[in-house]
Amino acid sequence: MADAPRLSHTTAMILQAVAAGHIYGYTVMDVTGLPSGTVYPALRRLEQDRLIQSKWEQPSAATAMRPPRKYYRLTRIGETAIEASRKRYPLLASLTPAEEVRDS
Amino acid sequence: MNGKSLAHAMLRSASLLAPAGRRAEWLKEWRSELWYIPPDASARFCLGAFRDAIWVRRNQPRPRHLHLESPLSCLAFLAGVASLALLIAICLPAPELPDPPGAHLTLRDLPGGCLASLAMSLPWLAAIWAAMGPAQCWPRPGRLRLALFLLLKLALVQPVFLTSFIILLLTGPSLPILPQLLLSGTWGFSLRWILHDQQRRCPVCLRLLTEPVRIGSASETFLEWYGAESACSRGHGLLQVPETSATYAGARQWLALDASWNDLFSEAAERR
Repeated sequence: MADAPRLSHTTAMILQAVAAGHIYGYTVMDVTGLPSGTVYPALRRLEQDRLIQSKWEQPSAATAMRPPRKYYRLTRIGETAIEASRKRYPLLASLTPAEEVRDS
Repeated sequence: MNGKSLAHAMLRSASLLAPAGRRAEWLKEWRSELWYIPPDASARFCLGAFRDAIWVRRNQPRPRHLHLESPLSCLAFLAGVASLALLIAICLPAPELPDPPGAHLTLRDLPGGCLASLAMSLPWLAAIWAAMGPAQCWPRPGRLRLALFLLLKLALVQPVFLTSFIILLLTGPSLPILPQLLLSGTWGFSLRWILHDQQRRCPVCLRLLTEPVRIGSASETFLEWYGAESACSRGHGLLQVPETSATYAGARQWLALDASWNDLFSEAAERR
């Protein structure tokens, strides 16, 4: 735990949103209330630091009528980081889990 | 223009800020997300794309420094560029010598031209130096070495400036603004690069320092040092650049490492 990266409150909030199942950039914006100019660069930075990883949706019947989206999932390092952040910022737990948790 | 096309135009404009290699995927992601945004919020959503594109550009993996790590390779590179610039200068018609018609700049005219160019670049150099913030305090034994290296680099870029100036004089009457802008850009960029390169050199071996590593946390500025640190690959020392100015760490500082660190750096060099 000592090696867990220390995150700013905003970054921790975005990571918590992803952990809670808000796996798309827009849904992270929606649940955190942060603007797109904050959320997307933060997601990229979290991915660069290997706390989350992104994947594109595979073409399926569900995506036939809409463009495929990029979604984000926590990595093991991300899980460690969010555990540490929850202790540091207890109010993070107030972010409600989403229904759109994607199967791996 | 309706909201949808405005949003797409904004994304298209913002994509120009993203690096070319990642532009297609970047645009694809933003367009796919835009599909889910309510029409009345799409313009506000797309404003963030500009910030994201700038972030992607600033944080793309940087190529290594064209093998300019050692001081000799840096000077050799500049000497090559200077030779090429001199060759161009000699081939161009000399604009200041109307008699005889079609006279060319000769090798004898070049030193004087380069000296004049050096005199003109000094105010630029001072201005850029001042704009780049407080300089680090180098250890005394390394100062002379660094100063000589800086002088050599400055001398080697003068032929480039001279050639740019000749091109300005030749093309000035037909293109009134563009040559001036190009000349200013060449001078500003070259001098800034020289100073930036200078600030990233080890004062002992004059090699480029490693990429900076961020240390500390912005929210804990009062508790611990916060900034970026670069190391000499030969283990001569560390360059610490504070992110915010504080009474205990106002400017960049060079932390010399003693011989006890040599083993660590020699092992790292062997691994490379």
